[in-house]
Amino acid sequence: MSTRSPARLIVALAVAGVLAVFLLYNAVDGHSTPTLTPSQIAAHTGTLSVVGAVVGPVRGDAHSAAGLRFGLKNISGSSGVVSVVYRGASPPPLFKVGRSVVVSGRYSAGRLAANDILTKCPSKYTAKPSKP
Amino acid sequence: MAELGRAALVVSLGLSVYALVAGAVAAVQNRRRLAGSARNALFTAFASTFIAAAVLAIALVRHDFSFTYVASHTNRTLPTAYALSAFWGGQEGSLLLWLLVLTGYGALAVAVNRRLLRDLVAWVVPVLGGIATFFAFVLVAVASPFDTQTAPVDGAGLTPSLQNPYMVAHPPMLYLGYVGLSIPFAFAAGAMLSGRTDERWIVATRRWTLVAWTFLGFGQLLGAHWAYVEVGWGGYYAWDPVENAALMPWLAATAFLHSVMIQERKGMLKVWNMVLVALAFELSVFGTFLTRSGVVNSIHSFAKSPIGSWFLAFVVISSLFSVALILWRLPLLKARTKLESALSREAAFLYNNLLLVALALTILWGVMFPILTELFKGESRTIGRPYYDFFLRSFGLPLLLLMGIGPLIAWRKASARQLVRTLVWPTGTALLVGALLLYSGAGSSTPGLVAYTFSAFVLATIVVEVVRGTRATGSLSKLVSRNRRRYGGYIVHAAIVLLAIGIAGSSAYSSSREQRLVPGQTMHLAGYALTYQRIVHPYNPNAYETRAVLDVTGRWHGTIMSGDNQYRNPPEPSREVGIKTDWLRGEDLYVIADDVNVKTGVVYVKVLVKPLVNLIWIAGLVFLLGSAVALWPDAREQRRLVTRLAPARA
Repeated sequence: MSTRSPARLIVALAVAGVLAVFLLYNAVDGHSTPTLTPSQIAAHTGTLSVVGAVVGPVRGDAHSAAGLRFGLKNISGSSGVVSVVYRGASPPPLFKVGRSVVVSGRYSAGRLAANDILTKCPSKYTAKPSKP
Repeated sequence: MAELGRAALVVSLGLSVYALVAGAVAAVQNRRRLAGSARNALFTAFASTFIAAAVLAIALVRHDFSFTYVASHTNRTLPTAYALSAFWGGQEGSLLLWLLVLTGYGALAVAVNRRLLRDLVAWVVPVLGGIATFFAFVLVAVASPFDTQTAPVDGAGLTPSLQNPYMVAHPPMLYLGYVGLSIPFAFAAGAMLSGRTDERWIVATRRWTLVAWTFLGFGQLLGAHWAYVEVGWGGYYAWDPVENAALMPWLAATAFLHSVMIQERKGMLKVWNMVLVALAFELSVFGTFLTRSGVVNSIHSFAKSPIGSWFLAFVVISSLFSVALILWRLPLLKARTKLESALSREAAFLYNNLLLVALALTILWGVMFPILTELFKGESRTIGRPYYDFFLRSFGLPLLLLMGIGPLIAWRKASARQLVRTLVWPTGTALLVGALLLYSGAGSSTPGLVAYTFSAFVLATIVVEVVRGTRATGSLSKLVSRNRRRYGGYIVHAAIVLLAIGIAGSSAYSSSREQRLVPGQTMHLAGYALTYQRIVHPYNPNAYETRAVLDVTGRWHGTIMSGDNQYRNPPEPSREVGIKTDWLRGEDLYVIADDVNVKTGVVYVKVLVKPLVNLIWIAGLVFLLGSAVALWPDAREQRRLVTRLAPARA
């Protein structure tokens, strides 16, 4: 009579099971979103997120049909300005010109139609300012 | 003052290097006096780090803005408690806290075990010395909290959202957890280096692991509650990389805490335990790398800083060290016994471990995905909330079920008949609860219904176990005191069930509505009617407050206010939500008033009704209670420990 331990079989089946679930998810529903900086966005269209710093003027109202309009540029280094129209719930209170944000939506014809804005927590673990 | 702090850190670095080098030489050559000297170096490193920490704490309390760190993170109007919390509010201070906790934990763990486990501790000292050397080096050479400048009139202040009691306690709790995982790692490495790979290192570090795990778990819940009441978006966990960085090592440590029981009792899973303890430690350091390097995009703003590359190097080197050690000692890590059946407690613990590690690794994949896609495809891509929710359900629900089955199933080999007899009451209870919930309309969310049914099953198994044990021993207190570890574990399981019910209720069954309101207008949601009355400006010496006042009728009668604060220094706004808790239902009425227009009186109000969300916070307290019971000194366990360690003293 065999006295082989079922441990290996269990581990192998478990790993196979996890892999199957993982692959299934990625095949069925595993879409990821490009997360770009304003300088990378030009070649793209469709659903994406942009990480950038808010550029004024900030005009309009997020709740209106015309939306809240502002620009985004690279947080560090130079870049062109991506124009954004945001419609939806009020943007977070920390949203203002100069703030680092993550804006998500659909990008086409040089404009980002946004439906979500995340402002970054303005504190903690920032790099030291460079000395002159 | 700053010179004293700098000098103390340099001394800490020197002593840590000595503990590493002299400790290793002493262990290799079996030189007892040199080993004692290395040990003393570790103790003294704690003392010198304590001096450095005291210097920074005094500078923070005295608002000494000649310290660049103090000027960058505090100002004169900041209350003392928040000025002190700035100790861990910045990069350099938090690293100093890390070194302080590491040397403190290390000194205590080595002092307690130095006689019983002399041969093993001889190797633990250089391992801890190596870890401390890294942090002391970073503090001395890369990110010193003792840089000075010409003192400005006032400092930059602390962000308003961090001026919250939760932020005083949440970060140090996490550090006590992260750093605490160094102790079982050092003992595991010590066991492999010394060749003493029996269960002694596990017995000696069980409480250390439990302490670290408790701090890490409770610290995360504190952070979640802070996000819920202070950040004001209506949620408590966003699957942000920084949050995941704390969750991953906690999951690995949870797996470890379960699998060590199998090694202790059956001498199995030795390699697996070494892998888990190394994984928990590496994930804790890797999490710190993520939060400090700025390589991943997070709602927490972390600038790209040079410290990230140092942490990455440390993670790579310590991971290679761990893998090499495990491969080297594979012959010594053979199991004493074999798993006899797939239907046994050992097997149940193995399933639990695989699910926990699978969950941790899928989260790691999600966190790493933007880095990997940027590296291999040249374009960073982010995986969103659906990914994490899917895997939480896929692995979390079976884990919940196993939490009920594991403690009841027999060791070695369970028969199907025995298992049915043991589980008949819990299963019956769960099915009854599930049917009642389905009848009452909870079937609108399948994962929610399954989570509630499984939760009922687990709670029923705990009740069955406790009732059976109490009958046998005569009293509940006697039962618990006879096996604190087991019954502490049951209390923790009950906490996890409460957490599951709270998460399921507040996510699967929550409702929300947003509406533009003018004074006198009413909005309705889930049996509540909220009538917007007026705008008020309550007095606050540090901020200009604006609040929309809403009268609530329906399921609750009263007034609720929400709006924003405009702080004066630093000049930052903060959203202030209104929360009304119904403790009988465990439900929150959560009100967010945005864009309050003082001139026109118009306000945009978002209302959320979050059923059972308060069970999450209650779970935190139950979790602490369970951990305290499991940690409490146990005379029976002490006797067992002495018997087990006896050969080491011979």
